[in-house]
Amino acid sequence: MKYMIMVFGDQSGLDGKSKEWIMEMMEFMNKVNEDLTTAGELVDAQGLADPSQAKTVRIKGGIPVATDGPFAESKESLAGYWVVDVDGQARAIEIASRVVGFTREPIEVRQIMDAPPEM
Amino acid sequence: MRTDTRTEDLLRELAPRVLGTLIRRHGQFDACEDAVQEALLAAALQWAEEGVPDGPRSWLLTVASRRLVDEWRSESARRRREETAAELELSGQGQPSDQDDTLTLLFLCCHPSLSVPSQLALTLRAVGGLTTAEIAKAFLVPEATMAQRISRAKQRIKSTGMRFDLPPEPERGDRLRVVLHVLYLVFNEGYTTSSGPALHRADLTTEAIRLARMLHQLMPGEGEVVGLLALMLLTDARRAARTNADGSLVPLAEQQRNLWNMAQIAEGVALLTRTLGTPPIGPYQLQAAIAAVHDEAPNAQETDWPQILALYEVLERVSPGPVVTLNRAVAVAMVNGPRAGLAVLGTLDTDDRMAHTHRLEAVRGHLLELVGDVVAARKSYQRAARMTASIPEQRYLALRAARLG
Repeated sequence: MKYMIMVFGDQSGLDGKSKEWIMEMMEFMNKVNEDLTTAGELVDAQGLADPSQAKTVRIKGGIPVATDGPFAESKESLAGYWVVDVDGQARAIEIASRVVGFTREPIEVRQIMDAPPEM
Repeated sequence: MRTDTRTEDLLRELAPRVLGTLIRRHGQFDACEDAVQEALLAAALQWAEEGVPDGPRSWLLTVASRRLVDEWRSESARRRREETAAELELSGQGQPSDQDDTLTLLFLCCHPSLSVPSQLALTLRAVGGLTTAEIAKAFLVPEATMAQRISRAKQRIKSTGMRFDLPPEPERGDRLRVVLHVLYLVFNEGYTTSSGPALHRADLTTEAIRLARMLHQLMPGEGEVVGLLALMLLTDARRAARTNADGSLVPLAEQQRNLWNMAQIAEGVALLTRTLGTPPIGPYQLQAAIAAVHDEAPNAQETDWPQILALYEVLERVSPGPVVTLNRAVAVAMVNGPRAGLAVLGTLDTDDRMAHTHRLEAVRGHLLELVGDVVAARKSYQRAARMTASIPEQRYLALRAARLG
């Protein structure tokens, strides 16, 4: 089963951190990716550029218009994700817990919808 | 299937020559291209077993032609007429060298009416002889996406009725600039990835250098071709020193210079020395000259900054743009002090082209740090970290900010 493990926040999460913490975080994230690859569970892992660089497209006066932002509460912005192919939800939660244990920031675990079973 | 590197190099070198010859004889870029890919695959299998044949080029040409004819035979009457036409054309042709064919092919793949991603993909496949899967992997996109991109590009060549000829003399300079730009982009894509976690995709830089070398052999008198090749060699020479073991970035001033590839630097400098005497001097030659000054400094402190500044001033005249100004600001700072550099940066603040790049703020952070304005420097680094789309760069900038915290 595939799950998307989503991390929220923005660059400001790094702003107050020490040099040592950032270096440790880099090492930790590399290790997580490495372990998921070795386990044959990693499908994809991506980080998103900061929400301050984002655009929102919405209908204004009947036509789609792009504006800067979202500029919502940065904690609500998707910062990056893993897609993993694992045995079940318990394993996806285990992976997420490992990351939360380090970053201390909440993570969302969502199952990716599948094609219907063959028979 | 695993062929040894020598066979693979030979196949990749022959691929555009065989394809060029085939297109000249038959037209039909897309069908010829498919036939050559199949011939390359057959060669990789058979040569690994039986060794490389005596005339590898004619072997490939024969197999590819046979595939092409098989393909035509498998369809009915309409196709049969084309086959006859193709055979007639074959016997009536004069024989330009397959070197010219390779060059023509490169110009065709970098045709200005193709989109930039199409130019890159098509060049790597048709001229570079890479498979669709290899190209997809290099650009981190699904294979089906890359296959579609290549097929649409071939479709476009067909529908616009582009001819398999070298561009006529009056257009040649402009068309060559597009070719050079495509090779430059392939190199850059490999050297600094614009997004994603991996900082080097070495295969693309190696391939760009190989193609630039090939182009240099085909057009030995073109100063800017030499300039681009030299620029690639002199930049790529620092590759091993550019990242730490954990993948984090090391700025030029802090790189361990004993990790630099001295043979590559020597080659780049030698190429450049031969061309710089002959005007006109173009932007690639100037950028290569700047890279050479950096590469020849025994350590960061002994870098000849006045020389670099002089070169940037010429570059700004030859090829003005905000990125050149940005780089000149760094050179100004090194020669006349960081405040002078910051003043040059100030002229870019209102430039819309710089509004969406992190580099202006990253350089400002560095110069503010040199001035000793720690608080403002940290803010600039943090702003730059927000703006970059490269994970290694983001982490590097966040670290610079944190170090001042």
